[in-house]
Amino acid sequence: MARRSPAKVIGSRLLQALPVILLATFMVFSLLKLVPGDIAVTLAGDNATDARITEIRRVYGLDRPFLVQYGAWLGNAVQGDLSQSLLSGEKVATSISRAFPNTLLIVAIALLLALATGIPMGIVAAIKPNGWVDKIVSMIASLGVAIPGFWLAMILVAEISLKLNWLPATGAKSFGVSPLEAIRHALLPGIAIAAYGMAEVARQLRGSLLEVLSSQYVRTLHAKGLSMTRILWQHGLKNVSVNLFTIISLLVNRMLAATVVIEAVFAIPGLGSLIVRGAIQRDFPIVQGVVFTMVIVVITVNLIADLLCAAVDPRIEQ
Amino acid sequence: MTTKAIWTTRREAMALLSGAVAGVALGGDARAQAAPKRGGILRVSAFTNPSSLDPATGGAGSDHAFLFTMYDTLTEWDFDTLKPRPGLAESWSFTDPTTFVLNIRPGVTFHDGTPLDAEAVKFNFERNKTDPKSNIKADLATMASVAVTGPMQVTLKLNTPDAAMPGILSDRAGMMVSPAAVKASAAGNLTRTPVGAGAYAFVSWADGERIVVKRNEKYWKANRPYPDGIEFAIIPELTTGVRSVTAGQNDLIYQLPPRQKVVVDRSNTLKVVNGPTLYVFQIFLNWAKPPFDDIRIRKAINFGIDREAFVKASLAGLAEPAYMNLPKSHWAYDKSVAGLYSYDPDKARKLLAEAGFKEGTTIEIGSYPDQDSVQRQEILIEQLRKVGIGLRFINAPVAEAAGAFFGAEKRGSGLLAAWTGRPDPSLTYALMFTKDAYFNGGRAPVPPELEAAIKESRASEDIEIRRKAFATVQRLVMDNAFVVPLAFQYELVAMNKKVQGYRPNLLGKPKYDDVWLES
Repeated sequence: MARRSPAKVIGSRLLQALPVILLATFMVFSLLKLVPGDIAVTLAGDNATDARITEIRRVYGLDRPFLVQYGAWLGNAVQGDLSQSLLSGEKVATSISRAFPNTLLIVAIALLLALATGIPMGIVAAIKPNGWVDKIVSMIASLGVAIPGFWLAMILVAEISLKLNWLPATGAKSFGVSPLEAIRHALLPGIAIAAYGMAEVARQLRGSLLEVLSSQYVRTLHAKGLSMTRILWQHGLKNVSVNLFTIISLLVNRMLAATVVIEAVFAIPGLGSLIVRGAIQRDFPIVQGVVFTMVIVVITVNLIADLLCAAVDPRIEQ
Repeated sequence: MTTKAIWTTRREAMALLSGAVAGVALGGDARAQAAPKRGGILRVSAFTNPSSLDPATGGAGSDHAFLFTMYDTLTEWDFDTLKPRPGLAESWSFTDPTTFVLNIRPGVTFHDGTPLDAEAVKFNFERNKTDPKSNIKADLATMASVAVTGPMQVTLKLNTPDAAMPGILSDRAGMMVSPAAVKASAAGNLTRTPVGAGAYAFVSWADGERIVVKRNEKYWKANRPYPDGIEFAIIPELTTGVRSVTAGQNDLIYQLPPRQKVVVDRSNTLKVVNGPTLYVFQIFLNWAKPPFDDIRIRKAINFGIDREAFVKASLAGLAEPAYMNLPKSHWAYDKSVAGLYSYDPDKARKLLAEAGFKEGTTIEIGSYPDQDSVQRQEILIEQLRKVGIGLRFINAPVAEAAGAFFGAEKRGSGLLAAWTGRPDPSLTYALMFTKDAYFNGGRAPVPPELEAAIKESRASEDIEIRRKAFATVQRLVMDNAFVVPLAFQYELVAMNKKVQGYRPNLLGKPKYDDVWLES
């Protein structure tokens, strides 16, 4: 079996991504058109008459057939123009480029925290399965999975922001302008999302490690007289790293989704808030733009994870 | 206005049981007498991104919270009664019923330095009336033409007498934009590049995130505005917005729902200002089809609702029971109409029996799924169950529910929603209670005398004659029970103690005219 070059893998993945992008944006566009509620009514303002609403549809091209409207959007998007908000007229690309870093920072912090806490928990739990450490880890992990992120977020704000005044309760700051302030603003939302991630990492890692540690070659290593530490670090973790990469890629995608709610709680102007505003106001260029961005992010994350997996485990290539 | 401030504070003090908070209210009074200071940035938590910062192309009632800071209007209104008073127009008159003359205040310039003169005003009128993207054409429906009759004077020719004009010009149609800026803009509008003649000039707008305005150093009102600028943080979640004020990241949050008052009162760093507004919760009725094509059933539902109890239970007592579409303090309020539907379950039952309404029959009403709306629904279901009317609510998001009821679908027999009020009451009535009005869900005819009375209310500029005309309009609407008014919501504004001089107004849309910040 010949090794495929990474460039080829990336190329074929990008080709596969095209239909996904098409399908996702088309489905979202259809959904926005199918659900009741009409941006023309919003655009026409408070005093609208039926005639005015019809006129608005014509002025904004909302009376064209559904496929024509989608085609027009797609045609522009292909040329790199995500068009503009129907309501406020801001370029969708501008909105996204401003919102994306805020969301990215939260997800990055959440991921770091989840890994920094989840990995050690998973390891200590797997070393002595069913010991008291394992039981405590299991309990914490169950809590992490069970506690809703938005609830944790509100508790964090009430205690850490409003009572202790350690971290800001709302908003975001630009990382480019002041990294420290940006991190201070993103910390609480990051923690709120990380709780679930921590639990997921700890549980999955424990499971995979247990499987590796109970395998025959590990028994052989034990018999050879290798210490537990060396078995764990040299053999155990290397073998579960494929699982870990997969977990991380799934986690990033889940965390991106979780920002929709968390950003509302913390009033963070990120991608999540943007898509919510777009969807509520039926401002479809915004929704389309965010979906487009999200799809690309998810595909990229999956691609990186696949490449990393292939790098550590040659069997995966095919 | 001073009386209003004291009245608000007193009411506050009575309403609040906590002595500490009463102390705050008194402290606030003492401070209000201190001399206003210049400087500081007022940080406001705003609950929605504006639909546009161009008064002509925007549509949402919530836009005014931003627009009023950047655009001054030809006429303004009295905070307490909404009576029109001079603004950019220092005076106006009807030389005959269809000729309206406006004298423009000399010496005013737009933020871009161009003069606000008769030519600029004419440009605005014509743009508002003819631009395809203008949403305020209907406001100027009665304007036939506009002419410059002096360097600082414009004359409107009306196609029918329209005394509502001064009121209309205190809203979007009176917000003057810089003609030079409109001509220079690539889009042909100021949606993203507002240039007006208001107290503050536009600095930046990041969608869904932040709007920044700075003091207009050449503002025509002496010593105004006090703050150096305003920063609006757009926070759609009101609970989060309140937290941002509690935590000190913002100074003020407006249009809070009553249930938030408990939360705000718990914080000892905030104070609350409130006052009645035109914003009225009501059930819109479709009287084109059963059951509400029968006047007896429309009357029965009006008699069957205990509005006092409704206000206590669903609005924390922070509202005025509504028996018509105008609140008590409005200049055109007519007391005698308010007595038409005092709570009378027996009468409601009797009317239903006469109409042959089978006890317990279910009526479908549209509404919204948010927490506050559902609470209102529960109270109405319970109250009307007692007179033998079953209510079933079909909930959907605002745009969908409103579209389904007012639009082509004609879903449900009623819509539990709200009416935000208009600067001149004739607009309120014309938009809901004339045959082809969009907010007459069934597009069903109304008695000719009602249409005539609405026209009559716009025919004379004499406020006493108008008051009488509105009394007739209100009586006819409520005699026919075309609507079920429930309660006028209070404007509820929470702010930290730095903010001084904020006054609520009857329109319920915040204006920061006299606001200053204590350092």
